[in-house]
Amino acid sequence: MFGLLEDSINGILMGSIYGLTALGLTLIFGVLKVINFAHGSLLMVAMYAAFWAVTLTGVHPYVALVLVVPFMYLFGYYLQDIIIKPIFKAERDVREPVTVIIVTTGVWYVLDNLSLLLFGPQYRALTPNPLRGKMLEFGGMMVSVPKLWGFVAAMLVACAIYLFFQKSRMGRAIRATSLDRDAASLMGISQYKIYNIAFGIGTAVAGVAGVALVPFYNVFPSVGVLFDIKCYIIVVLGGLGSIWGAMLGGIIVGLIESVGPQFMTATWTEAIVYGLFLVVLFVKPSGLFGARADW
Amino acid sequence: MPDTNKILEINGLAMDFGGLRAVDSLSFSIGEGEILGLIGPNGAGKSTVFNCIAGVYPPSEGEVFFAGEKINREKSWNLCKKGLARTFQIVKPFSSKTVLYNVMVGSFAVTDSTAVARRIALETLEFLQLDDKKDVRAANLTIPDRKRLEIARALATNPKLLLLDEVMAGLRPTEVDDVVELIRKLRDRGVTIFLIEHIMRAVMALSDHMIVIHFGRKIAEGKPAEVACNPEVIKAYLGDEYVISRD
Amino acid sequence: MTRQNVHISTMVLAVLIALGLPLVVHSPTYLHIMILLYLYAYLTTSWNLVGGFAGVLPLGHAVFVGIGAYASTMLYLQYGVSPWIGMLVGGVISVMIGVLIGLPTFKMRGAYFALATIAFGEGVRVMIENIDYIGPLKLNGPRGLQIPPLNVGLANMLFLDKKPYYYIILFMLIAVLALTWVISRRKLGYYLNAGGEEPEAAMALGVNVARCKLMAMAMSSFLTALAGTFWAQLTLFIHPKSVMSLDLSFEIAFIALIGGRGSIAGPVLGALLLRPVSDFSRIYFGDKLPGLHLIIFGVVLILVMIFQPRGIQEPLTRAYNKLVDRIVSRRARGVLESA
Repeated sequence: MFGLLEDSINGILMGSIYGLTALGLTLIFGVLKVINFAHGSLLMVAMYAAFWAVTLTGVHPYVALVLVVPFMYLFGYYLQDIIIKPIFKAERDVREPVTVIIVTTGVWYVLDNLSLLLFGPQYRALTPNPLRGKMLEFGGMMVSVPKLWGFVAAMLVACAIYLFFQKSRMGRAIRATSLDRDAASLMGISQYKIYNIAFGIGTAVAGVAGVALVPFYNVFPSVGVLFDIKCYIIVVLGGLGSIWGAMLGGIIVGLIESVGPQFMTATWTEAIVYGLFLVVLFVKPSGLFGARADW
Repeated sequence: MPDTNKILEINGLAMDFGGLRAVDSLSFSIGEGEILGLIGPNGAGKSTVFNCIAGVYPPSEGEVFFAGEKINREKSWNLCKKGLARTFQIVKPFSSKTVLYNVMVGSFAVTDSTAVARRIALETLEFLQLDDKKDVRAANLTIPDRKRLEIARALATNPKLLLLDEVMAGLRPTEVDDVVELIRKLRDRGVTIFLIEHIMRAVMALSDHMIVIHFGRKIAEGKPAEVACNPEVIKAYLGDEYVISRD
Repeated sequence: MTRQNVHISTMVLAVLIALGLPLVVHSPTYLHIMILLYLYAYLTTSWNLVGGFAGVLPLGHAVFVGIGAYASTMLYLQYGVSPWIGMLVGGVISVMIGVLIGLPTFKMRGAYFALATIAFGEGVRVMIENIDYIGPLKLNGPRGLQIPPLNVGLANMLFLDKKPYYYIILFMLIAVLALTWVISRRKLGYYLNAGGEEPEAAMALGVNVARCKLMAMAMSSFLTALAGTFWAQLTLFIHPKSVMSLDLSFEIAFIALIGGRGSIAGPVLGALLLRPVSDFSRIYFGDKLPGLHLIIFGVVLILVMIFQPRGIQEPLTRAYNKLVDRIVSRRARGVLESA
């Protein structure tokens, strides 16, 4: 029974980190109305960035945030600007910009294999790692410290993003563009600049997620693929474009993953997550908190 | 009981979108070979009426009879096969395909053979004077030609009743005259026409019978001349000040 | 010499070259490369029925390859059923699964459909990787199934030489291309194109878009499954990561997209261009630069989508047509001059 509680807590913590990884994806969808198939790869880039930042400079992993987040922001900003924007412009009037999906899939392949080429296939664990294996004892249960920090980071970032979009001028401009791009551009908001910024923010959030993961998750070229699919599942579960939906979806997946193996093999839990995904897609594609209007 | 002399009969039609009642208690009918014009200020619910009839969504209330058969929940493709065709206010050509290809999609509704479909499509294009553009990609057509293509496609399905949704919007006066002429020729071919239109002189000139709706309800009905003088209609379009009081 | 004649001559020439190739090329490596080329051209052409004509983006098509491969292999290994029959069984199962997948997903918007196909594909793969037995049928989980190279011959679709495999897949490719061509000229082809491009308008013109898409999916999944059986008989070893991986699904889709989905020549041209890239970069750079061919694929895909979203077949077809025009007019002039 205790074990179940311990698993659940770790599941919630890990789940919140999943939510953080999916947050960037849901943001990008909410604004640009496209599902960025390269999101997992961006996460992978973030993890490598965090890894190299720590390995080369020796700073504490969380200090690496200072380096990683701006880097990821710019990475995302220019990725959108150089590669995705031309397609957007070409598909202005198309009902469903499918080509953007195709292009982001191409980006996924290029990034994953480029990092394979550059960094090799080996799994890398962070060294020096002051957080390795650190556990906190809490009422007789062991809770992973880096996961706890990850949870904190996830909550902070979610709140920050929420406030940003509600209160700040830029945030409101972004929301306006996502609701009606033509109206927004008539009011002097440069549509494509907004997209660049939104993509940058989404990628920067992935950067935070990468830093949160690196202390306890191995880095390797295809690490993004595992998270990629999970992110889609989370984002659809929670509702595309919904911040809290992403967090809640992540926690649900985290719980299934940590509690599931008590009752079945780990790979069956994977199948259950896929199954849940399909059920949501069929029954309520707009997810738990998604806007019905999207459908 | 539906009157089988009427090709289209609507009884108590109502359409709700969430909390909004877009169309309310609408009843009218169209006789075979007639041209019925539906007018009303913007947002009155005209396209909604079309969509309810043409199978885009079923009406919340009321009954729709086509040639005596109740068609409330029928799908648009089945309605097309029964002889009910429609055009769209915002034209939707198959842009990457040629004009001929576009119309053939329509003519396949009456045949399975490619050769026959092509023949019917060519005839239809000739009727609409688009045959010289048959190999032009739809994306490269001018607006008036796109509207013609829209009509050609629908006509190729050999409809008994054709719903035309603002086919003259955005056309210049001479182009409007051409379309008016075209619609008359369509009626002479035996097609019953139900049209939504904003261009008053066209609708007045064409319609045997007119219906005016405002906020989803019918506020006037009758011959064009009667409807034009109807104070309710004038009030709806222009506001109270323009009603010439008869006292 | 009319245009029609030129087209026919070109195709006849291509077929003759293809048929005659094994008489000149004896190296098994190169034959194998050609076989894979035809196989991918076949897979992408089958994919094209849904991904091109129907206008949706299926990214989990490898699942049908896997179903075909596993169905025929299990029947052969355990019950001695000839793979030719097993092929058909695999095809029928694929049709059922394909329709099952299509029914709910075709209503979804583009990205959601793509995601759903990925989820299905990966879900099935994960399940098979975890299952050793379904009832009496042995799946062997991640260890896969091996076909011993015994009882060689046509009846068992097992050959020691590459040449028979070459002709089988060439025949399959020609058949599927012919099928696609016939469909494109008939009602179903028109309806699929219309439904893919403007579903609302198509429905108003009498097209039951959902049913057409399902028909396309049924055909596509059936044909794809046949290739799965061929693959199993060719490589003699199948496991989930080889026959139903996401990589395979993506590669099929990429090639079709780069070549030009929605056209008949596109997928073949895509395969012609990209498969050699894949094979040669794996041969020459395999160890030193792993994954290079995938980077090339990705970059080419991005560039093509930005500059030629309808695929490389568009400029290539234009160039080909210009060439044909020149041939036709030169012949015409020749005729006039000699008259």
